[in-house]
Amino acid sequence: MQGGVPTSESANAPATPSRDIKAAPRSAKAPPPAPAVQSAKKESTTPDVAKPKAPPLDLTSLETRLKETKAIGVLTKIALKNQIDDLLDQFRDFYGGKLKITLAELRRPYDMLVLKVLSLLQDSDPALASAIAASREAIWGILSDPAKFATI
Amino acid sequence: MATRVTDIVLAVLTVTCFATPALAADDASIKKDLFTVITLQGLPCGEVVTFTSKGDYDHIASCRDGNRYHVFLNAQERVVVEKQ
Repeated sequence: MQGGVPTSESANAPATPSRDIKAAPRSAKAPPPAPAVQSAKKESTTPDVAKPKAPPLDLTSLETRLKETKAIGVLTKIALKNQIDDLLDQFRDFYGGKLKITLAELRRPYDMLVLKVLSLLQDSDPALASAIAASREAIWGILSDPAKFATI
Repeated sequence: MATRVTDIVLAVLTVTCFATPALAADDASIKKDLFTVITLQGLPCGEVVTFTSKGDYDHIASCRDGNRYHVFLNAQERVVVEKQ
């Protein structure tokens, strides 16, 4: 970037909403777990035949759809590509030992970037937004695995 | 003769009526694109109200909040937003 504004995710990231799950007060008179809960847990150990499977990840298709969507302007697409490339560089540096952070710390800029893309698409191209949202964990699965990442 | 002039005037008006919204829509999409790029960089804008094009990917955007930005694609194919 030549004198421009850095595209660092951390600099632009809005604050994440705080989660006060642990802070929620528990009643002292809370009843002990009912037997029904235990039976439900036992049921959950049975094979998950009815569970819907995640759709197979098709990165090429998602990339093509992102390039062709009219929901995002050309400059915005290039700016997003810049930010994606920056994130991929961070992963390369991380796996190369140049970046002294944890994988968990790379998850935040990844999530932020996905959210940016989703917010840009959700109104004008909801189908693509859904496809990207559904692929979110699968893409992270590739990024967070050095062997899979090397194949990108 | 009068009929012919009327026909020409009508044709011009028709073209103007259809072409102007198309141009305005294009203008609006560029403004939206510029606004999105500016905000993607985390910079304040509010809304791009006007812009001047210096090239295909080279614009000066004026925001409602008074900020002005030079938005362009540099030689490394990176979108750069410079506050003016």
